[in-house]
Amino acid sequence: MHRPTQGPLYSIFKQQQDLVHRIGLKATIFLHYRDLFDETIVADALRYEREFGDEIGLALHDLSGPGLVEAGHFIWLHYLDRKREILQIIIEKYRDVFGRGTTSAASYHFDASSLQILKTLAPEIQAVVGGCFEEGVRVFHGCNHSWHLFNEGMPWNPWYPSRSHTLRPAADETDAAGVVAVPHLMRDMSLAYEGRNDFWASHPPNIIRGMGNDASFCPYDLNLIDQFRMQEEWNDGYSYYNTFVGSSWLTWNHNSEYPPEVAWELYTKFLNYLAELKRQGKVHDMTLTEYGCWHRKHRSIGRAEVYWAKEMLYGSGKHYFWMADPNRRILIDSTQGGSIGDLRPYVGRVPVTTGPDTSHRQIGSYPFLIQSQHRTGSAHHYADGARTTLLIGNGEETIDACTLRAKVDRVTNTGSEAGVVLTPVSFRFANGLEGELITSYTFLPNGNTKIERIISKLSNPDAELTLTEYFKGAPGTTEYPEDMHGIRLSMDGAAPQEVEFNYSGETFESHGSSRVSAFVPQTRTCIELVSENGPAKLGSLCIGPLFSPYFTLSLHYKFNGNGNGNGSIITCMNLKSI
Amino acid sequence: MHESEKYITIMRCPVCFSRDTDVLMLREESCRHYCTKCSFRGEESEVRGMYRDIQKKFHWMTKRLTLEEQRKL
Repeated sequence: MHRPTQGPLYSIFKQQQDLVHRIGLKATIFLHYRDLFDETIVADALRYEREFGDEIGLALHDLSGPGLVEAGHFIWLHYLDRKREILQIIIEKYRDVFGRGTTSAASYHFDASSLQILKTLAPEIQAVVGGCFEEGVRVFHGCNHSWHLFNEGMPWNPWYPSRSHTLRPAADETDAAGVVAVPHLMRDMSLAYEGRNDFWASHPPNIIRGMGNDASFCPYDLNLIDQFRMQEEWNDGYSYYNTFVGSSWLTWNHNSEYPPEVAWELYTKFLNYLAELKRQGKVHDMTLTEYGCWHRKHRSIGRAEVYWAKEMLYGSGKHYFWMADPNRRILIDSTQGGSIGDLRPYVGRVPVTTGPDTSHRQIGSYPFLIQSQHRTGSAHHYADGARTTLLIGNGEETIDACTLRAKVDRVTNTGSEAGVVLTPVSFRFANGLEGELITSYTFLPNGNTKIERIISKLSNPDAELTLTEYFKGAPGTTEYPEDMHGIRLSMDGAAPQEVEFNYSGETFESHGSSRVSAFVPQTRTCIELVSENGPAKLGSLCIGPLFSPYFTLSLHYKFNGNGNGNGSIITCMNLKSI
Repeated sequence: MHESEKYITIMRCPVCFSRDTDVLMLREESCRHYCTKCSFRGEESEVRGMYRDIQKKFHWMTKRLTLEEQRKL
């Protein structure tokens, strides 16, 4: 995907176009409103369309031009009426110039209202570039707190945006906004979680910005392509990749210490590799509208998608597992023993529009219940934060499974039900008791997730363990705590409780509990842990104080090795809309 | 501005960058560069050496991992 820049940089756009055509690829050209007044740009675009099959879409990265003097760059950040006014002018101009409506549009982000207006004014629209995966807090920091694009919590792959929150995959046709959306770029699914996702993406100059290249040697660009290709194995033979490099990235710019020829060489190698894969029949190139139509024909609404991420820049050996469907997006951090590092409870269908006339203002992200990078995760300073884990107790000692490094062993995905099994990890107590743990997750289509913990090879088959399934959460969209009033925690058992979250720092316990839950109005979700092994020994609820503002749900199981040192517990983590 | 001048002017602060923050440095008369956000000040050769240090964490920066190799990772 290309978008022109007017003035001296226009020659770079033409070089980009010449390059893709020379190597046998086609492009989608996104023209800005101001470009539509430039006869040369329009004539060139029509020639590209005629000669190479390129598509001419609409770019909303710069909204200004005649009659739109101070429209800026960000359609989702305007007042509702202004969104409509701007889009009307731009869409009408496109019709005037080309005698037809545009079938695709690109923006860094669309909120629910701007996408709805776009689709109403341009019903021909099939597909949009609709969001920047996990662009938010870290990019805000990295850009000197000046890049106010809060776009976290979306799918990494193309999706059907919902009407009420464009970053949430629609549950069904009535919930869908009527377009297919693709991410602005494909991101590194390990490093996009750990740090600045704008460094590690399908965009060679971004890698230069992150200093992941050694001058014009950067195998990472090709490695990322291949990692996305690898995902075909668990997604029904399907994978998606794109690139969207603006002209300004291929000349002197403030994000690179190299002269432009380095960016050009890496960009060329990257595209050459895609062209080579095309010649081998391993990938197909499509314009955005072609892709939107293909997606609608081949990828049904509601389908579960998974991604097995293998970190490949630091050489850490880390694995992450992602899954997304209309009910949730979940990240499993295998290096932390299979803890959930990120949980977006889509089932709550939180509606979000942005703009000065909304309560969300510029925060377009889909809210989380767990985000371990923004909200502490495992303890290393004062206390732990948002995460899940298994606590393995014996006598006075407790081993936190997040200290047991696993990898992903197997991934399954039928399209409705997905699963992941981690490699076995061994644990050892100070008293010499040893054993092995295997964690697996089964993601059911209704938003429920089965978590199985298999214990085996206990060195003392008669030893007794306490296994605690632990969920610590906090609703939010950024790294700063938000108001948790209104949350209610409850559990059953011998001393059933229902308590308001009031930052009291209290813990409540109930023997024989089989269900602990939190009602979280901020995410319009109820999260519950339910024992599938009969009543647990103990259930507990914890209301965190202001210095550790989290709610904690725990089920404590008594485990004995059945005389042979083996056994398992299954806990269902259910997400329900409230 | 000449191309050569642009070449040495565009550099981000290596201290801020080591914290994942992009901050463009400004250039002093003495050919040193200074950060507007932190107290770092240094010459180009020093800055580029610090960039190299930052890159040391990327142990696989020059490693090509084919599809088959990634399957085995």
